[in-house]
This record gives sequence, C-alpha cells and structure tokens, in this order.
Amino acid sequence: MVIVLLFVLALPFLVKEIASQYANYTLKQQRKKVLSILKENGIDYYLRGEPNYGGYTLLKEEFIAFSPVGARVTVDTIKNSQRLIEGDTLNYRILSYSFRSKNRNYLMEIGKTDASINRYNKPLQRFTLYVLITLIVLTILIDLTFIRIIVKPLASIINTRLINKEFPFRTEHERIKTSTTDFKYLDESLVLLISQINEAFYKEREFTSNASHELMTPITILQNKMENLLAEESLDESSAIAIVEMMKTVDRLKKITSSLLLISRIENEQYIRKEQIKPLQLFHEIIEEIGHRFEEKNISLVLDISADAVLQDVNKDLMFQLFFNLIHNAIKFNRQDGTISVSGIFLNDGRYQINVCDSGIGIPNEDIPFIFNRFMKTNLNSQVGYGLGLAIVKSIAVYHRIKITVESGVDKGTTFKLIFKAEYA
Amino acid sequence: MKVLIVEDEKTLAYEMEAFLKKSFYHCDLAHSFQSGVMQLELNQYDFILIDLSLPDGDGLEILKHAKKNNPEAVYIIITAKTNLKDRVMGLDLGADDYLAKPFYLLELQSRMQAIARRKFNITEDLIALGKFGVDIQKRLIVFSQQQIELSRKEFDLLSYLLLHKGRVLTRVQLSEHIWGTFVNDDYDSNYIDAHIKNIRKKLNAYSETDWLETVRGVGYRIKK
Repeated sequence: MVIVLLFVLALPFLVKEIASQYANYTLKQQRKKVLSILKENGIDYYLRGEPNYGGYTLLKEEFIAFSPVGARVTVDTIKNSQRLIEGDTLNYRILSYSFRSKNRNYLMEIGKTDASINRYNKPLQRFTLYVLITLIVLTILIDLTFIRIIVKPLASIINTRLINKEFPFRTEHERIKTSTTDFKYLDESLVLLISQINEAFYKEREFTSNASHELMTPITILQNKMENLLAEESLDESSAIAIVEMMKTVDRLKKITSSLLLISRIENEQYIRKEQIKPLQLFHEIIEEIGHRFEEKNISLVLDISADAVLQDVNKDLMFQLFFNLIHNAIKFNRQDGTISVSGIFLNDGRYQINVCDSGIGIPNEDIPFIFNRFMKTNLNSQVGYGLGLAIVKSIAVYHRIKITVESGVDKGTTFKLIFKAEYA
Repeated sequence: MKVLIVEDEKTLAYEMEAFLKKSFYHCDLAHSFQSGVMQLELNQYDFILIDLSLPDGDGLEILKHAKKNNPEAVYIIITAKTNLKDRVMGLDLGADDYLAKPFYLLELQSRMQAIARRKFNITEDLIALGKFGVDIQKRLIVFSQQQIELSRKEFDLLSYLLLHKGRVLTRVQLSEHIWGTFVNDDYDSNYIDAHIKNIRKKLNAYSETDWLETVRGVGYRIKK
C-alpha cells in the first residue's frame, strides 16, 4: 500500500520525466530526418541562397533554424531556453547541433514548446491513476476471495475446536474437510490433544470415584471394630481415650473420602438440577444447622437477602453444601467477636449475586489462586484443614455455572462473590 | 429379635454381629448371595441387613427374593455405593432404610430401633429420665407436666443418648448422628460440649441432671 501511495505521489514527476524524455527522443528523430534531407538535398534546400533559415509551425509550437557559425563552434545539446519568435517570447526545449556543409559551419536548432511537450501530462496522469485504482481494487478482491477459500479449513478448525470450549471438551469425531496436508495435520493433532486431555480427566475422575468407594468398606470395618472395643466393659480409661483418638482419626479419613466421593459425584453429574430455592430460606436453614458455632466466637451475622430472590434449576442439597462450607469457613477463619455478612444483589443484567463476607484473618495474595485446589494448605494457619471444603464449593459452582470470585487481604477478611446466571436467578 | 446379615466382608459382618449381640439380637451371617438366599429359605427374620455388592450376585435380587418369603421383616440396605439410582431402586423394592458405608454400628442400631418402632407401631409412654419424662416420638421433655423448651439439636442429642442408655457415646458418634456427613473438620471444637452444657443448664433449673454423665476423654453417657 505504501509503495502504491509513493507511486501515486511520484506520478506527476514521472509523467513529466517521461514526457521530457519523449520530447528529447522526438527532437533527435527530427534531427536525424533533417540531416538525412540535408545529405540528400544539401543545405540550400533550406537556405535557398539566404544566409539563415527559420521556419515554424502555425502555433509556434515547433521551429527549426539554421545559422552559420564559426569553425570552432561544435555543439550537440538539448536545453531549455527562451526564444523570441515574431514578438512572442516562448519557452522551448531546443536541440542545438553544429555541422559542416559545403565547407561552412552551421548551427541547427530544433525547438519544441514546453506547453506542447507537457500537453498530455494531465490526462496521462489521470488515466494512469484510474488504471492503478482499478488494478488495486481488483487485486484486493481476488486476494480476499482466495485467502478466504484457502484459509476456510483453518477458520473451521478454530471455530469448532478452540472457540468457546468448556471443560471437559466434547469430542467431535468429524474431521474438517480440507485437502491441505498442514491443516489436516493441525486438525488431527488438536483432536488428539483434546481427547488425551479428556481421557486424563475422565481417568482421574474414575480413579477418585473408585478409590473412594473401595476405601469405604475398610473404613467401616475399622470404625466398627473401634466401636465394639469401646463397648468392652473391662476397658480402662487410658485405653478408652486412645480408642477415641483413633476413632477421630478414622473419622477424618472417612470425611476426606466422602468429600472426594462427593466431588467425583458432582463431576459425574449425578445430581439433578431441577429445584428452585429461596436463598433467604436456605441461609436460615444453614444458620440453624451451624448457629452454635457463631456463639463460640461471639460472631455477629448480618443477613441481607431479599425474600423475593429465587434460584432456579439448582440442586438444593448442593446449594446447601456450598453455602454451608462458605459460612463454615467464614466462622472458622474469623476472629473473636468478628462479623459475617451475607448479601444478595440483583445485577442490572438480570443476574443475581450473593456475597459472603467475613472479618477474618484473610488469605495472602499469593495463596488466592490455589484456594480452590484440593488439599490446599496455607502457610498462614496450621489450623487449616485438609482443604476440601472450597474444592467442593468450586465443583458445585462449576456444576451450576455459578461464577465465583474471591477478594481477600491478610487481616482484612475475605469476600466470596457468587454470580448466578440470569436463567438461574 | 433375629437378624440376618448378608455381607461378604467377613470382618465387617463379625463386628456387626458382636455389636448387635450386646443388645440381645440374635444374628445369622451370610457371606455370599447363595448362602443369603439359602438362609432366607430356612429361617424367618425380624431384621435383614443386605450389602448390595456381593461377589456372586446383586444384593437387590436378595431383597426381591426375601420380600416373598419374609415380607414382615425390616430391610436395611448397606452399601458403599451412594448414588441416587441405587438408593431409589432399593427403596422401590421395599427396603425400609438405606445406610451408606462407612457407618457407625450405633447408627445402624438406632435406625433398626426407629424402623421397628414405626413399623410395629410401638408407642412408648414417657421414658423416665431422673425426674423428667421424655417422649421421643413427640419430641417432648417434661418435668411434672411442664414442658421444657430444648432446641432441635439439643433434643436430638439427648434422645440419641437416651436410646443408647448405659453406653458411652463419643463426640464423633454424636456429631455424625446430629450433623450428618457435612464436612466438618474442626476436631478441637467443643460444640458437642457446648450443647450438653446448654441441656444441663436448661434442665438443672427444674431438677438434678446427674443421670447425664461426662466420661472423661471419651464422651457422654446416660446412666442406666
């Protein structure tokens, strides 16, 4: 494009240059013609006895003149210069040439007016410009069409394989239609990669599910053996305490396992999302369930949820679990006499947002990206559990397409923001 | 009361038997589908506990089979599979309850008692508890005709202890019965103790509660 622009800008100059070159050429041609006439007919053909000769065309656009000059003068130039012809001073391009004829030196001058030389410049420029523009437009159109046809398979690869992909990927086995080997290779590689990712994901899911199931029976046996041991009447106090400690440990194992099982069941979509619930009612139920924990730390709760708010197409048990875990964390990581506030907001775009905000110890910035990972432990607090609570929250949120974000600062508390899709709220 | 335990994990079956024996249940054990079906043809039972995943057959088939010979019994399905489909199928086939592994034997026994009471329409009068009277069905505790207000959780706790009178219940057992399987990882928390303290406080206003005993380091017990 820049080249084209430069060309367009240089066009007047170029046209002028061409015209001037052409003028020189015609002048030389004319000289050749005149010289051949002179050779054939002699100088007298022009002079007819006169010492000088001058002739010009009707509009004084061209002239030819012969005049005798001294023997030492030899010229052969083409110059721009002015001449006075019958009272008009005009700019001419003049070819001057000296030659000998009949033992005398003559100077021949052939002239052409600048005006006649540059007469065709403007139309020529315009014409070139039009041709150029037409060519450019044509080129662009052809390019676009061809590029579109050539790149079509690439576009469909991007559209079907990469854009708007949600994990886990759906595998479409249909290949993109193309005869280009590179595109075929690209498409096949992408399909292969996606299916490998999916396979790894499903394997992990299956493993979690199988492992947790398989662990259930041995855990039951351990748990039941301890219960029976504890019921022994001959048991002394220290043994009883030891058994209770063991029971606590087994219970922890059991809870880790059931949490993993819960996550894998959510991921395997074994819950039905068809219920509609009122968040206000849900929070009342959670508070009844966990209320005693507020008293332990003397935490005050502010509940600002509209009685009209309804969440559609959710699973009630999972919603309960989600907010139970968030509130449980908000209590667990709170300070003595702290506060927890739960508020619901109708967003302008029709979505519903619920914030769970605590005045707790907060999460260091560097830990925030990892808090939803399984078994995440923060360095801040040794009291932190095995970190499945938030992993469960995340999997429930993903399952319900709830957007969940966290804002937190050390000693400033933590806010979880959950945005429900419009069709849910 | 006769109980048939169909469970292929022998150790687990023995533990269940040992626990239930103490409460004077008579237990028969079957470790496979085949022996389960055989036992059911030979005997009548009051309780039938069935593990769904048996090596040589589907526990649900035993349930169907047993329902024909022994329709009056209480059926409880025990399984490590906790998906909804199995659960609904089990209950559709006439199971009375569904217990997911891992479970406490205490919980198993409580469920058995509760179903038996419901099924055989056993209405008990007020159970005496010191100078108080407790009606577990109606969820009431009274002191000389005067009703005492306990919160839901407090009543759950008290009635669970009462159902297992004479047995020490640990905090873990109590917490699982009352709060279920909610992920609850605060083992140092004293919320069970806080509830017991509240119960004592509320009841002490009327009469002594020395029947409710703290067993140091273990848990709580209601004296026989």
